[in-house]
Amino acid sequence: MKKNNIEGWLFVSPLVIWISLIILVPIYIAFELSLFNVKIIGTSGKFVGIDNYIKLFSKSKFLNASLNSFYWIIGNAICQTFFAFTIALTINYKFPGKKIMANWIILSFIIPTVVVVVIWKLMLSSSSGIINSVLIDIGLLDEATGFFSSPNKAFISLVLINSWRWSPFLALIILSGLNSINREMYDASKVDGANFVQQFLFITFPNLKSVLFVLGLVGTLLSFNIFDIIWLITKGGPSSATTTLPLLIYETAFTKFRISQAATLSIVTSFLLLLFSIIFIKSMAPKEDD
Amino acid sequence: MIKENNFKLIFLSLSLLLIILIFFFPFFWIITSSFKSPEEIIATSTTIIPRSFTLEHYNKILFNSDFFIYLKNSLIVSFSSMIISIILSVSAAYGLHKLKFYGNKFVEYSLLVTYAFPGVILLVPIYLLFAKVNLLNSYFALIVVNVLFATPFAVWMLKAFFKLIPNEIEEAAYIDGASRYIVISRIIVPLAAPGIASVAIFCFIISWTEYLFASILISGDDLKTLPVGLAGIVGQYQIDWGFLLSGAVLASLPVILLFVFIGKYFVSGLTEGAVK
Repeated sequence: MKKNNIEGWLFVSPLVIWISLIILVPIYIAFELSLFNVKIIGTSGKFVGIDNYIKLFSKSKFLNASLNSFYWIIGNAICQTFFAFTIALTINYKFPGKKIMANWIILSFIIPTVVVVVIWKLMLSSSSGIINSVLIDIGLLDEATGFFSSPNKAFISLVLINSWRWSPFLALIILSGLNSINREMYDASKVDGANFVQQFLFITFPNLKSVLFVLGLVGTLLSFNIFDIIWLITKGGPSSATTTLPLLIYETAFTKFRISQAATLSIVTSFLLLLFSIIFIKSMAPKEDD
Repeated sequence: MIKENNFKLIFLSLSLLLIILIFFFPFFWIITSSFKSPEEIIATSTTIIPRSFTLEHYNKILFNSDFFIYLKNSLIVSFSSMIISIILSVSAAYGLHKLKFYGNKFVEYSLLVTYAFPGVILLVPIYLLFAKVNLLNSYFALIVVNVLFATPFAVWMLKAFFKLIPNEIEEAAYIDGASRYIVISRIIVPLAAPGIASVAIFCFIISWTEYLFASILISGDDLKTLPVGLAGIVGQYQIDWGFLLSGAVLASLPVILLFVFIGKYFVSGLTEGAVK
């Protein structure tokens, strides 16, 4: 089809303008704020130049939150890849009830995050949670444990809860990739004597490239952005073990009332994410064939 | 051959069991628990099959709380966000994937990357911006943000559906003298209807579940959405579990009902179309 420059832009522009306005204007405001020392919203501060940036990089809190965010992304990527592939490969088989399962597996994604929090707070409760009593019954635990009481346990529990919410959604996207793979390739490989694992490594995986590209990019950014699950369960604790960058920004702005510092954090974080996205797209984008 | 089939069967049954336990059992658990007596919910010995049955928690949340106010707010915000998102994303997806233009790859990738910027990074500046233009404490503030969250992915979802529509149909219509408007309303939209349905439910879900911005941009009790209302109970020192569980079940009900009717489009939209 020939290119329709003007009309093309005309159709795209309402959305592009909406998104740009809501992203670029706030980023400009944040950048301006980051050069002042405004504390409480509505008050004015004095110009401090790049002081906020210098202070930020010398703060252990920033370093700690960045590391937590890094572990958070890696942990979620590993868990979600495991769960999502298990679900997708399972649903890809034929079995009775397959349709119902494929439709409703996504339940954990369509309910409000607050409900996710309620479910797991109840299931993991130290006094009356079912997980604790099951673990005690089968002999894995001697007494009830607090899943959010120690830094490591809290972090791992949160990663698992967040993966529980997102994996089914990712599984359906992986399934879309699986459906687009030509069945004959599997039959042909069987004739050549390929086994289950070889089929996965040499047919399934390479053919999922364009799906995995989008998942890798969007998935990383989405896990980075997770705020509510962490905030509503641990508030970043115990002892800042679950304070990722989004929580640090929130805390700085709305509980410590240091608006300029929060703005500085937002700018630095946006820059890091943008850098990641550009590198990821440049190096991993699958070649288009149209 | 037999060995491999056995292996597959074992893998299938094990993973099915695991999936049901991990991804479905929790729902059974909170739904049944929401009908248990307060004593049974917090009892240390857990009971898989409920021993008590009571409607007191539902009674309390329906007739003795602000549930219906929150429900109304959530419905207004979610439906408005959904409709605006559909209009903007269908139009953008049409421009991107049917009318190739200079810079369309750039726009397509930028849209994916905008997934990076929503979220907490924009929280502080958006709060300040809305404070400046007097939009705090309004439905519109939440709608603006929800559309921003929902549309980038919506456009990506629509791509597959638009690619499935052969260009020849459109070209034939133009030869017959149809205008762009006729082509879109009579050909594109009807043929992409399943795609639009899946985008609709996606946008509704995004808006229905949004918590962070709703908790910051809205301070008046009369404008709070369901997630914010529920989070208020989660945060209390002494959690009234029965109250909270029945609230959680009721807050999930509308999306689940919507999903009963158009969920299959959403799932097939995700699983059958997404890659060309």
